[in-house]
Amino acid sequence: MASPILQVRNLRTQFATDQGLVRAVDDVSFDLYPGESLGIVGESGSGKSVTALSILRLVPEPGRIVSGEVQFRGTDILKMNEEEVRDIRGRDIAMIFQDPQSSLNPVLRTGYQIDEAMLAHKKGNRRQVRKRTIELLRQVRIPAPERRVNDFPHQLSGGMRQRAMIAMGLANSPSILIADEPTTALDVTVQAQILELLADLNHDLGTAIIMITHNMGVVAGLCSRVIVMYAGQIVEQGPVEQIFESPQHPYTWSLIRSIPRVDALRHERLRSIEGIAPDLLRPPSGCRFHPRCPFRVDKCFNDPPPLVEVKPDQMASCWVTMDRARKEMGADDLVDIRPGAGSGIHPPEAH
Amino acid sequence: MADPVTEQDARPFPAGAKTLVRVENAVKHFPAGFGATVKAVDGVSFEIREGETLGLVGESGCGKSTLGRLVAQLIPVTSGKIFLDDVELTRLRGEKLRQQRRLMQIIFQDPFASLDPRMTVGDIIAEPLVNFRVMRGRQLNARVQELLRVVGLNPNFNNRYPHEFSGGQRQRVGIARALALNPKLIVCDEAISALDVSIQAQIVNLLEDLQREFKLTYLFIAHDLSVVRHISDRVMVMYLGKIVEVADSVGTYSNPKHPYTKALLSAIPVPDPKIQRGRRLVELSGEIPSPLNPPSGCRFHTRCPIAHLPTPCAEVEPPLEEKLRGHLAACHFSQDV
Repeated sequence: MASPILQVRNLRTQFATDQGLVRAVDDVSFDLYPGESLGIVGESGSGKSVTALSILRLVPEPGRIVSGEVQFRGTDILKMNEEEVRDIRGRDIAMIFQDPQSSLNPVLRTGYQIDEAMLAHKKGNRRQVRKRTIELLRQVRIPAPERRVNDFPHQLSGGMRQRAMIAMGLANSPSILIADEPTTALDVTVQAQILELLADLNHDLGTAIIMITHNMGVVAGLCSRVIVMYAGQIVEQGPVEQIFESPQHPYTWSLIRSIPRVDALRHERLRSIEGIAPDLLRPPSGCRFHPRCPFRVDKCFNDPPPLVEVKPDQMASCWVTMDRARKEMGADDLVDIRPGAGSGIHPPEAH
Repeated sequence: MADPVTEQDARPFPAGAKTLVRVENAVKHFPAGFGATVKAVDGVSFEIREGETLGLVGESGCGKSTLGRLVAQLIPVTSGKIFLDDVELTRLRGEKLRQQRRLMQIIFQDPFASLDPRMTVGDIIAEPLVNFRVMRGRQLNARVQELLRVVGLNPNFNNRYPHEFSGGQRQRVGIARALALNPKLIVCDEAISALDVSIQAQIVNLLEDLQREFKLTYLFIAHDLSVVRHISDRVMVMYLGKIVEVADSVGTYSNPKHPYTKALLSAIPVPDPKIQRGRRLVELSGEIPSPLNPPSGCRFHTRCPIAHLPTPCAEVEPPLEEKLRGHLAACHFSQDV
């Protein structure tokens, strides 16, 4: 395997709020390889978006990256000066966001804004970049790009605006495209088109994609590797097929089973994850998932489990792991999914 | 002068299943300035059986939320009739309509915007009971605590404010409020769309439990077809203000009879990489046309992969008719779907 294009090591990003310190990203490490598509999934507050923003040092106030490294082609982005980071943003690593409406300037023509993305990195004169802008709009399948290039953002539909954002992201042929929930605000038929477009770009141009999403279906269709985050930490990572086939962290396991499927054959009760998302001001001790975990053992209450290899290429941070929960705790037949249901450990504090 | 569509819709109902809601040719037009009208709901007829969950799906702008509001009588129809238990709601005004409203409640999408931040959750849940002077004093308190317990919240939380709760808990408060007056029908308008995946499952399970316990009827509006399939007995698909397909959820999903339904289903990602990679997307050309000026004939003809143009698809509007037993679709060529 080629060497990674991006290496994130022990990243910690925190927000100092009136109520206290929020450890939004708490010791996160992962690699991204050239041309791969990596999914980062998690629910709100899991730290997936802040991880993405930290890579480009775009964390909003009062957030601060307190430690760690983000190695891009052998240089630590976190140690660069402002000018050096600006050179990388949009040129080597581009980012697209959930809401294309608020990412485009409403008073400037769409084409002009894509031109600017290239002019800022001195990719040619106005005439040259305009030619490429039209080419890019065609590449993202906007019909009649010669005309659309002069449209203002409000004249485009939601799906077209997101295509224009992707065109802007691709303008400087970046080696990494970070997409933060790019289809969440779109209708399903449009979402499917955008995902297909991203898959084609990943395949044809070899752009590595980091896909931030809460939707396991999106990951299943687009990504080759997936990272699952919970409460600011990575709880599991590995190849997509393997993770869906044999998740080892109880959170991943319950997440996959709690989604109703459009291709389901019969009506089954959903296996919900009981309890509420953890309060990041006061994260639970030990394993952060233990207050909601059906398979917790005594150790989980106080000792944080390390992220270790549980199968070839697959890492999980769990003292029990699903292989054992299946064998010893009857996980597959478990109907009651209350915390401690499988292991029988319901401490008094849970009531 | 019975509407032929309604007749056919009624036929497949199993004997004994009573009709709770009947909608006949409902139309809702909104003025859009300069003499233009948005035809949000443009002549729809259907029925909701007592005790069932009718799913209503479609993309943004198809009119599904407007239809939900018409059924709950939050907005008046432009024309057409809506019956609840054989009472024609669309003819009632003032106090008479208000009394009928007790029987129909609605749960909204945004649990942050739909609860007054300055009221305690106890007061929020008690408000309908106070408005209709159903009970007061100690009896009211007991009822509020009971409702909190029913939706899975701590009964002693009645003095807390909405901001002290998470999104999923707030949606539970909204559900408790909707249950307060023992309604027959609850319209769930994207009731779980704003929630996290793991919380969605909790609320879906809660809604199913409550339905069984209180014999509720749901009109479940959502854009997420996977959730709708899971919760619904029958599913209705809307496109540009019209119903294009109605069937039981197995029929709609495994054997769609309208090309739009088929395209919609193919677009839903399945959370299984092996299956998802083998699926083929039915690509729709173009975008949803404007409801200000919907296409002639079949409204879907501008994007339809199997349309016969110009005739009949661009000229003749296909009626919503029974294609299989209990399975209605509005398409001239449903055998080709």
